[in-house]
Amino acid sequence: MLWLCIQFPKLPLEALTRARKQGEDSPQAVVESNLVVESNPTAEARNVTAGLSIATACAYCPALELLERDRERESQLLQQLAQWGYSFTPVVSPRSSTGSGKKTDRGESNPACLYLELSGSLKARGGLAALLHQLRKELHKMRIQHFMGIGHSPCAAHLLSQLPEHRQWLAETKTPPTPQQWRQWISFAPSKLLDCNNRAIAKLYASGIKRVSQLLAIPLSEVGNRFGRNFIDYLARLNGTRPDPVPSYEPPPEFHSELFFPSPLDNSEQLLFPAGRLVRELCRQLQRRQLYSQQLSWVLDYGSRGKQQVNVDVSRPLFDPQRLIALTKLQLERVELKEPVQALALHCQQLRPLESQSLREDFFDEGSKLHDSYQLIDKLKARLGHEALSGVTLKESYLPEQAWASADSLTLQSKSRSHQLHPVNAPRPSWLLPRPEKIQQRDHKLFYDGELQLLQGPERIDGYWWQHHRHARDYYIARGNQGSLYWVYQDLTSENWFLHGVYS
Amino acid sequence: MNSAENFMQNKQLSKQAGNEPAQPQPLQQLLTRPDIWQLATQQRRPRTGITTGYRGLDALLASRGWPRGATSELLVDKAGIGEMSLLLPTLAELTQQGRMAVLVNPPHIPYAPALVQAGVQLEKLLIVHPRGQRDQLWTAEQSLQSGACGALISWQGKEIPADKDLRRLQLAAREGDSLHFHFRPSSSAATPSPAALRLHLQGDGEQLAVHLLKQLNGKSGQRIHLARRADLIRRDQPLH
Repeated sequence: MLWLCIQFPKLPLEALTRARKQGEDSPQAVVESNLVVESNPTAEARNVTAGLSIATACAYCPALELLERDRERESQLLQQLAQWGYSFTPVVSPRSSTGSGKKTDRGESNPACLYLELSGSLKARGGLAALLHQLRKELHKMRIQHFMGIGHSPCAAHLLSQLPEHRQWLAETKTPPTPQQWRQWISFAPSKLLDCNNRAIAKLYASGIKRVSQLLAIPLSEVGNRFGRNFIDYLARLNGTRPDPVPSYEPPPEFHSELFFPSPLDNSEQLLFPAGRLVRELCRQLQRRQLYSQQLSWVLDYGSRGKQQVNVDVSRPLFDPQRLIALTKLQLERVELKEPVQALALHCQQLRPLESQSLREDFFDEGSKLHDSYQLIDKLKARLGHEALSGVTLKESYLPEQAWASADSLTLQSKSRSHQLHPVNAPRPSWLLPRPEKIQQRDHKLFYDGELQLLQGPERIDGYWWQHHRHARDYYIARGNQGSLYWVYQDLTSENWFLHGVYS
Repeated sequence: MNSAENFMQNKQLSKQAGNEPAQPQPLQQLLTRPDIWQLATQQRRPRTGITTGYRGLDALLASRGWPRGATSELLVDKAGIGEMSLLLPTLAELTQQGRMAVLVNPPHIPYAPALVQAGVQLEKLLIVHPRGQRDQLWTAEQSLQSGACGALISWQGKEIPADKDLRRLQLAAREGDSLHFHFRPSSSAATPSPAALRLHLQGDGEQLAVHLLKQLNGKSGQRIHLARRADLIRRDQPLH
């Protein structure tokens, strides 16, 4: 077992400010119940650190921007990170930060962290060094501060991630550590790094135990008498003599991500930058899990004034962020912002697994031409809306108005392999009127833009007598004054004449 | 986006206009321009058009078919004289080749059984109903440019499109190498148009009378009568 622990020390701040562009460096601090919890580097340069009261912090740095801590957003971000970690290894366990706002009496609280079991994914990722490099690079891209540690059990990894010497070794290493190295590090670690409450640590120091090695030298029963069963249990897990189970993470088949803007945006063009970031996150997720999404739904959050949803339909599996952003841009251009936007969220319900069938079509059928037409349909849909596009198909029916059906343009483009229908072998007009139009009738003559002359007929269509509305009609082809050919019928029940189609 | 494209286009045009007097282009290069018509090479010109399915009409057209990558205007006042059946053979051929056919704001419902009878692949047919003149032009331009669309048929709405817009559609059709058919009322025959081909269609008894108003690189003014399908105009003994 090879457990990697990634700690996120700045998560409270990052959950709130991740949406901003890099390089904006006004001093910011996250506060909770009148105390500073976290501050950004600009603020830290002015001595604003965790644990200060708001008044002191503001005295140090008058321009300080105060942000209220949002634990819900933090846990959402941690869930996202767990999902991200899931793409590297199937064994992932997120651990949210412990300790409440009143932590000064407890000392430092533990930041949120993520455990990844790596032994199974080393080979696929080209070794430990390459894997760690990729993890670091992607975390950096997401602008999440982190530090890592590797151990044989989750709690050992957690302990070692706090040890500077171990971190330095990890930055340079190429191979996983040997069991001997672990033991060395663990025994070398100062006992204040142990994951237990402050009182126990104070007791350890009071009895002169400054390093874990000293603690391990004492017989366990002695330690148990002083520090209790839980502490012994913890030591055993740390040593590797007892298994260390952690809850395993199971990713949902959907994508949710949200960016929060501390200062609301009032221009839809400004939304494009954060939208691009969300789309890139989505694409990475989709590609790794081999899923695709048919709809991106963007939620513009106006704070207390409600939300607005904008949907972008995608007709086929698409992993290219640029293209998804272009489609999103078309939609966002149409949106008029009613109020300044406070948060932008991207939801994808129902991610579907990629099917080999849909890929095969792409490779061996018409290829790029088909691709072009999908792109065109997506583009038209994004601007005109779903309902403006349609196709037509055949339907099996005697009734002329039921012999066709409007079809979704999406299902149309993919080749249907189902049963082929054949139309009736009789001349049919190329235009059908949505509603039959009544024809004037005088002295046994028909008038529609001049006198109509019946050329052919009748073709009797009689059916559906078992339904409440019987359809019995005699169809004729008629010619108008100026040479137009019409498809007209006489309703046999009412004896009225109607125009139903045009032979255009 | 549109304004930016427009700007680029204008810039190119002005650049062309500005360059021509300054540095004369070689003659060969000039002659390859599609808008320069050379009578001497008329006989040797390859038959680049897409056949209309009517031999008589093909013979009249300079490219021996519908001009590729260009707008063809069809001036029609009355529906039902066979104006769609003039296009259906072409649509059938293009859709069977796997290219899309787009109808923008058709006046009635395209009736599927008749289209299948004519050989049109229904899964390649897309019907778009954009609202308003701007969206309509945008749809036409995007579809023509995309290269996926083999033919686009549009109907002039209540508003008369500006000359500039027609020119843009013509350019988009050239870019995407697709056929653009534009149905307009015959009242617009008097106004000039950038279309490569203009046909005036009229019903004449049981035939379709085609009057060639204008064509690029070719003669105009001819008239031709096309017969309608025999099974439509067959006369039965009337019952009533």
